[in-house]
Amino acid sequence: MSQRLQSVVIVGGGTAGWLTAGIIAARHQGRMTSGFSVTLVESPTVPIIGVGEGTWPTLRSSLQKMGVSETEFFRHCNAAFKQGAKFAKWTTGADDDAYYPPLMLPQGFTQVNLAPHWLCKGDGTFCDTVSPQGQLCEDGLAPKMITTPEYKAMANYAYHLDAGKFAGFLQQHCTKKLGVRHVLADVTSVNQDEQGDIKSVHTQQAGEIAGDLFVDCTGFASLLLGKTLGVGFKDCQDVLFCDAALALQVPYASPDAPLASHTMSTVQTAGWIWDIGLPTRRGTGYVYSTRHASDDQPCATLMSYLGPEHRHLTPRKIKIRAGHRTTFWKYNCVAVGLAAGFLEPLESSAIVLIELSAKLIAEQLPANREVMDIIAARFNDVTHYRWGRIIDFLKLHYVLTQRRDSAFWRDNVDPATVPERLKNLLKLWKYQSPWFFDEFDRLEEVFPAASYQYVLYGMGFRTEVEQGDNAGTAAAAARYMNDAAVLTKQMRSQLPKNRDLMNKIFEYGLQPI
Amino acid sequence: MTNIVILNNEAHRKLRVHAQPSLDLGDNQRFVAVVISEFPALALHYPILFSKDADTGQFYCGVMLGFDVGENLFIEAQCDENLYRPLNLQRGPFYTSGDDLGIDLDNPRVTAAGEQALFGEANEPSLYLQSVMGLMRELKPGLERTKVFINTLMELKLIEPLTIKSHFDDGSQRELTGLYTVNREALAGLNDAAVLDLFRRGYLQLIYLQRASLNHVATLAQKKNRRFLPQLPRRSGVG
Repeated sequence: MSQRLQSVVIVGGGTAGWLTAGIIAARHQGRMTSGFSVTLVESPTVPIIGVGEGTWPTLRSSLQKMGVSETEFFRHCNAAFKQGAKFAKWTTGADDDAYYPPLMLPQGFTQVNLAPHWLCKGDGTFCDTVSPQGQLCEDGLAPKMITTPEYKAMANYAYHLDAGKFAGFLQQHCTKKLGVRHVLADVTSVNQDEQGDIKSVHTQQAGEIAGDLFVDCTGFASLLLGKTLGVGFKDCQDVLFCDAALALQVPYASPDAPLASHTMSTVQTAGWIWDIGLPTRRGTGYVYSTRHASDDQPCATLMSYLGPEHRHLTPRKIKIRAGHRTTFWKYNCVAVGLAAGFLEPLESSAIVLIELSAKLIAEQLPANREVMDIIAARFNDVTHYRWGRIIDFLKLHYVLTQRRDSAFWRDNVDPATVPERLKNLLKLWKYQSPWFFDEFDRLEEVFPAASYQYVLYGMGFRTEVEQGDNAGTAAAAARYMNDAAVLTKQMRSQLPKNRDLMNKIFEYGLQPI
Repeated sequence: MTNIVILNNEAHRKLRVHAQPSLDLGDNQRFVAVVISEFPALALHYPILFSKDADTGQFYCGVMLGFDVGENLFIEAQCDENLYRPLNLQRGPFYTSGDDLGIDLDNPRVTAAGEQALFGEANEPSLYLQSVMGLMRELKPGLERTKVFINTLMELKLIEPLTIKSHFDDGSQRELTGLYTVNREALAGLNDAAVLDLFRRGYLQLIYLQRASLNHVATLAQKKNRRFLPQLPRRSGVG
C-alpha cells in the first residue's frame, strides 16, 4: 500500500507561493493535527516579481475560504474595487472608440441569450443594454455600499491590488492562522529518487526539506519543473507579440482624486497601456512588441500618455515572454504562477490562474503517490485547456481590430498568427452568438461565453440573426433588458463614489455579516 | 438645517421647549437608536434589534417603532400612557458637545409656545433641564458601552441577519431587511468560558432581553392592523 500524502512543500514565496499555500492549507485544515503539513520555502534574497495588479472575482471566494477579513485585505494590500475594464481605441482608434467588458453577467444570462435580441434591434451599446456595470464604471461608482457585508456585492467585483504587499499579507495570514510552516532559505540543490520524483530540496540555511508533493512557485526560473525535471517551454509569441513592458507607478494629484473601479487599457502603436487605480497610486505600464517599436519610442509613448506632470518619473523595463510549460505536473511536482507560464496582463489572467491551479491541487490532492499520476494527467489536461483558452481570448482582442495604422496592428490580424480554434469560433460566431451549448461549458471556465459576448459586440462584431429565431424568447428578452435598465437607474442613484467608499472602508471597515 | 450652540443660562434663559411626543416634531421614526442601559425598560414593549449605520456601516442597537418610513405606532401610548420613550427621542433638541450641553436652536421643538422652561427665575436649571442633563449622562457613555457590547457579540459571531416579513389586513405586505438579531444556535454553541464572561459582564441578560423582545414584532403588526379597521372614535390628545 502506498503511503498517505502528508507533506506539501511549496518552493517560492511570491503571490503564487502564498496563495497556493493558503488555498491548500485552508482546504486541509482538519488534517493538520494528524500530521499533514504545508511548508513554504522562500529565498531571503530573491525579490518578488509583482505580477498583475488586476484580479478576477474568484479572488473574493478564495480569500473568504482562507478566512481572510476583506477589510484587512483592503487595508494591508492597498487594494481597491475592480468592476471590469475599459478598452479604449481598440476597434477603430477614434477618440470615442471605447467599450466595457464588465464583470456582471448579462441580465438573465442563464435564462435567455440577449445577444441576438440586441443585435436585431438594440440601439445602445451591448454592455449598457444588458448590464448596469459599464455605467457604474463611467460614473466612478463603487460596486457596493458601506453597509454591504464583506465579500458581498451589489455589482460583481474583483480587486486591483499591490502584488508585493499582497504576498506579505498572505504570508502573515498563512503562518499565523493556517499553520503554514515558513522556511527562509535558499535552495541549493534538488534531490530526486530513481523514478525522478523530488525527494527533497537542500537549502543553504535550513538543511534538507523533504516532501511528498512539491509545488514550483519559483517564478520565471522554474527551478523544479523546468530546471530540475527538464520540462520545456512553449513560446506563444507567434500569436501574442508583446515581449516587453515599461511599468510606472504614478501618484494622484490629491488624496481625494477620483478612483476608477475599472482597468483602463488604451491602444498605442506597438501595444497597449494599462492604467489601474489603487487607493494611494495608479499603476500604469506600456506592454509592447520590441519588434514593432524602436528603442526610445515606448518610453516616449508612455510618458505622453501620462502627461507632462509625470515627466520626472522613470519607468522600469520588464522583459516578458508569452508562453507556458509543455507540462505543468510531472512526477510529484506541479508548477503554479510564473513557473508555469506568463501572458500579457490584458485580461488579468495571472492571479486567477494561480487560484484555479491551487484550488484544483487542493480539491484533488492525491491521497498517495500511487494515484498521483491520474490526478497529474487531469491537472495537465485542464491547465492546458485553460492556457489555450486564455491565449485565444487575448488574441480575440487583437483580431477584431479595424486598425491598420501600424505594423503591430496589421501583423496581428494576419491569419497565420491566429490559433485554429479561434479562427473556427470566429467563423461560427458570424451565424450564432456564443452562449450555453457553445464549447465553454467546463466547470470553472476562465472566460465564459459572456466574456466573449462583451468583447465581440463591444468591438463591433456582427452575428447574423434570423428574426424568426428570436420570436420564442422575445418577451423574456424584453423583460430582462428592462430589468437591466431599472437596475441601472436604481444603482446609479444608490451607490456611493468609489473613492468615498474606499475611504470609509479604511476608516470604519466593512462588517463580516 | 441645524444650528447647535452650547447652552448657557444667560443667552438662553428665556428659551422654552416643547418636550411632548409629537409626530410633527421628530417622533416620526420607525427605528430609533438605543443604548444597552435602556434594554430592561424597552424590552417590555419594543422589539430591540441591531442595524447598520447607513453612513459608517457600523452596528448599533435600536428599537422598531413601525413598518413604514416615518411610522411610529407607539406615539399614542407614549402620550397617553406615559410609555417609556427611548432616550434618543426624549432628548429632543439637545446634544452633547464635549462636556457641555448643546441645543439646536433651529429644531422646531424650541419654541416660545413650548410647555417647558429651561431656566427658573434665578437662572437655575429647571427640573426639565435637569432631567435632560440626566438623560445625557446616561446616553453619552451608553453609546460607548453599547459599542463594546456589540463588538463582543460580533467577535463571538452571535449576530445574524433577520428579515421581517409581515402581511397586513389591507392585503399589503412589508419585508424589512438590514436588521439583525442574536443567533440562538450560536449562543447555545458558545464554550463555558465565553458564557461565563458574558454573564459576568451583564451581557447574557441583555441578550435574553433582546431575544424576548422580538415577540413584540407580532404585537406591532397587530397595532398596525388595527389602523385598517373601520375608524372607531379615538381619544384625542395625540400629538
